Amino acid sequence: MNVAYFPGCSLHSMSKEYDMSTRLVCKHLNINLQEIEDWNCCGATAAHSVDHSLAVGLSARNLSIAEDMKMDKVMAVCAGCFSRLKTASHEIRNNPHMKAEVEQMLQSPAPVKPEVEHLLQLLVEETGLEAIAQQVVKPLRGLRVAAYYGCLITRPQKVVQFDDPEQPVSLDNLLKALGAETVTWGHKAECCGGGYAASDTDIVLDLGGQVLKSAKKAGADAIVVACPMCQGNLDMRQKAMGLDFRMPIIYFTQLMGLAFGYKPGQLGINKLFNSPTALLKSKGLVKE
Amino acid sequence: MNATTSPVNQYFKALQLDEQSNSLSQEILQNCGVEIERCLECGKCSGGCSNTHIFDYTPRKIVQLIKVGNEDRLLQMDALWCCVACQLCVDRCPSGIDIPRIIDYLRERAIDRGIVPTRPNVKLFHELMLDQVQKIGRVSELYLILNYNLKSKQYLNNAELGPQMFFKGKLNPIPARVKRMDKVKRLFRPKPGQKGVAE
Amino acid sequence: MGVHKEQTTLVIGGGAAGIEAARMLGQAGYPVVLVEKSNRLGGVLNQLASSFPRWEDPVKFVEPRIKDLEQSASVKVLLESTVIGCQKTENGYQVQIKNINGAVEELQVGAVIIATGFEMMDLSGYGEYGHGAFPNVYDSLEFEAVLKEWSAGKKPEKPPVVAFFKCVGSRDRSKGYPYCSKICCMYSAKQAGLVKDLLPEAKSYVFYMDYRASGKEYEEFVRSVIEDKHVRYVRGRPAKVLPEDDRLLIRCEDTLMGVPIEVRADYIVLAAAIRPSRGTTEMAEMFGLETDAYGFIEPEPFQAVKVQERVFLAGSCGFAVETLGALQQGAAAAAQAMAVLNQAD
Repeated sequence: MNVAYFPGCSLHSMSKEYDMSTRLVCKHLNINLQEIEDWNCCGATAAHSVDHSLAVGLSARNLSIAEDMKMDKVMAVCAGCFSRLKTASHEIRNNPHMKAEVEQMLQSPAPVKPEVEHLLQLLVEETGLEAIAQQVVKPLRGLRVAAYYGCLITRPQKVVQFDDPEQPVSLDNLLKALGAETVTWGHKAECCGGGYAASDTDIVLDLGGQVLKSAKKAGADAIVVACPMCQGNLDMRQKAMGLDFRMPIIYFTQLMGLAFGYKPGQLGINKLFNSPTALLKSKGLVKE
Repeated sequence: MNATTSPVNQYFKALQLDEQSNSLSQEILQNCGVEIERCLECGKCSGGCSNTHIFDYTPRKIVQLIKVGNEDRLLQMDALWCCVACQLCVDRCPSGIDIPRIIDYLRERAIDRGIVPTRPNVKLFHELMLDQVQKIGRVSELYLILNYNLKSKQYLNNAELGPQMFFKGKLNPIPARVKRMDKVKRLFRPKPGQKGVAE
Repeated sequence: MGVHKEQTTLVIGGGAAGIEAARMLGQAGYPVVLVEKSNRLGGVLNQLASSFPRWEDPVKFVEPRIKDLEQSASVKVLLESTVIGCQKTENGYQVQIKNINGAVEELQVGAVIIATGFEMMDLSGYGEYGHGAFPNVYDSLEFEAVLKEWSAGKKPEKPPVVAFFKCVGSRDRSKGYPYCSKICCMYSAKQAGLVKDLLPEAKSYVFYMDYRASGKEYEEFVRSVIEDKHVRYVRGRPAKVLPEDDRLLIRCEDTLMGVPIEVRADYIVLAAAIRPSRGTTEMAEMFGLETDAYGFIEPEPFQAVKVQERVFLAGSCGFAVETLGALQQGAAAAAQAMAVLNQAD
C-alpha cells in the first residue's frame, strides 16, 4: 500500500521516536510511506486560531503536493496535523467558497482527491487487526495500559468519521491485538490541554492532570497515546502537576514495534521522559 | 480597574435587544455556515466543555450573546483565549452548532479590530509560531520556545525541561526549511494590527 | 337496514390500544381476532411499576380488560402470533397469521386496526452517557424493572443517588430525532417520585431542558413530585458521564446559574426517544400505509385514526402517546371499524 506521509514539525524534533517507530512499523506491515515532498507546517492551533483561510491554505498546499505525487491517501500521525489536513480536505470538498479561495492561494486546482487518514485509522480499517496480530512475536502480556485518544483523532465526528468520539475503541482493540490489557476509564477522549503547553501552562497542568489521575485510578501502568502533543503534555509535566506517578506515556507505534520484535533502541523508547523500561522489564518485554 | 468598568458590572448590565441584534447571527451564518437559531438552549455544549470552569462565557452563553447581537462582549471575552478547541461541544450539540468555528471566527475578528486579548501570551505564541512558518515554512520548537520566552519576558519558562530534552535528542538545533518558500508565503496575507506577518 | 356483524376485525398488537379496541368491538358483539407477538397481553404496561398522573398500578388497569376479552364470545386472542401477509379484497383484506409453531392461518377481515406500538431508541450512539459501557446506566423501560424489584422489597443496601436525563435522542437532530417524544417528561417525573416513595433516603435528580406537562392533572403531578416528594430538578442537558470509583460522575451545566454542576450518581436513567417499533414498520410496509419521515403511521388528513379505507391506527404506532391517549385511540379505532362495517349501501 502506497501512502503519502505527513510527519509534521514535532516528528522532526520533539517527537522523533514517534517518527522512528511509525516508519519501522509501517515498513514491517508493507505500508510504503512516501514523505510529502517539501511539506510545510500545518499551522496547527495557531493558524486556525487567528486566520481560517491561512489554516486551510497551509494544509491545502500539502494535500496538493500529495496529489501531484499521485497519492490518493495522506497519512498523519500527529492528531493536530491530522485534524488540520482533514479539516482542510473537508472544507475544500464541501465549501465552494473556500475551494475557490484555496485555488486563488495555490494558483492551481484545489486538491479534492487525497483521502486524509490518521495512522490508527489506516491500521484498523485497512491493514486489519488480524493481520497485525499475526505479526506479533512478543505479545504484550501482563501490560495494563490506558488507551488515550484525546480530541482530534475522532472529533469532530462529522469531519473525521472514524470510531466513536465518546467511547472510542480502535486503539483499545489494537492494543488487545498486541496482547496488552486496556483499562476501562472515563478520560480516554477528554482533552489534555492541547497547544497551551507554553502559552498558558496552567491549562495543561489542569486538564492533563485530570487525565493522568483518571488513568492511575483505573489501574493503568502506562498511558498509550497517538499524538505528540498529548505525549508531551502528559509525559513532561507530571512533576509540575504535583503528581509523583512517573507514569510512562508511550506511543502506540512503539508498543507495536516491541510486539513485532524490534529493540527498544530502534523505537526511541529511551527518548520518553518517564522511562517505561522498568515496567517493560517487569513484564519480560525487554531484556537489558 | 474602577467600579464602572469592572467585568462584574459589565456582566450585569442590561443587554440591549434592538434592530442591530440580528445582524451578527446572519454574519455567522454567512461566514461560518453555522445556524445560530438552531440552538435549543440546553447547555449540553457547556456541561462537558474542557474549560467551562475557567470560561467567563460558556459556549451556551456565547451562542446566546450572538443571538442578542452583543459583539462587544464577544470580542472582549476571555473564552476566546482559553478555548482548547477540543471539539467536545460541537459533537455533543443536538443541533450540530459548530462552536469552535464560531470562536475562531470571533477571535480572528477581535484581532482585526486590534482588541487587546485577555491572555496576551496566547496571542503572542500564535503570532510567533506563524512568523516562523512564514519565514521558513516549518516550526522549530526550540527556537519558538526561546523566542517566546524572550518576547513574553518569562526567561525561565519551561527551562527545567530544556536540558533533559536536549540530552534525549528531542531538540533540533538546525531547523529544516521549506524550499519553495514562495508558495508558502503566498498563503499569508497582510492583516491590520497583526505584527510581523505582512511582508 | 340492520346491523352487520359478520365481518371480522383484525387487531394487530395486544398493548393498551389494541386491547381497548378489541374489547369495545367484542362488547358490541363484533367478531375480533387480536394478534399479539409475545406470550401475554398488556404490552408495555406489564413492565411498568406505576403510572401517572395518579400513581395507579398498571396491572389493575390491564387485568379487568384481559378478563373482558376472555369472557367475550366474539373475541379470539392469538398469542405468539404475527401477521405475515395480506392481500386487498373487495370487502377488506385476506391475511395470513403465523403462530409460534409455524402454522399459518388464513383469515378474511373487514377492518384492520394497527396497534403495534413503539420502541425506545437504541442508545449506542450516546457514548457520552455510557449506556452499555458502564454498569447502572439504564434506559427508562429497563429502569422500570429495577423499580419493580425495589417495590417488591429487593432494595439496595445504601440509599442511592438516582439521576434521570430527559430528551436522550429526542430534540436532537444530530444523533437522534428532532421531535419531542411527548411522554418522557411525565414518566421521568413518575420514576423520580417513585424512587423517593420507595427509598425516602435516596436522592432523585431530574435533568431537564424544560418540562412539558400539558394534560389533565399533569402540571400538578410534576409539582407534587418536586414539592411533596422532594425530587430535585436541575435545568441543563447533561454533557458527559464519567466512571469515578464505583459511581457515575455527571457533568452538566446548570443553565439557570450558568455554571458547571456535578452530581455523583449510583443510577442513571436515560429517557430514550420513542420511535416506531419494528412491528409498526413491518405492518406499514405490508399494508402499504403512509408513514411520516420517522416511520410513524400517518392518518389521512383531518382524521384521528383512519389511515386508509378499512385500516385504522391506535396507540404509539402513530406517535408517542400515554396510556390514556392509547385508550382513546383504541376506542376511536373500534368505533370507526364498526362504522365502516355498517356502511349504508
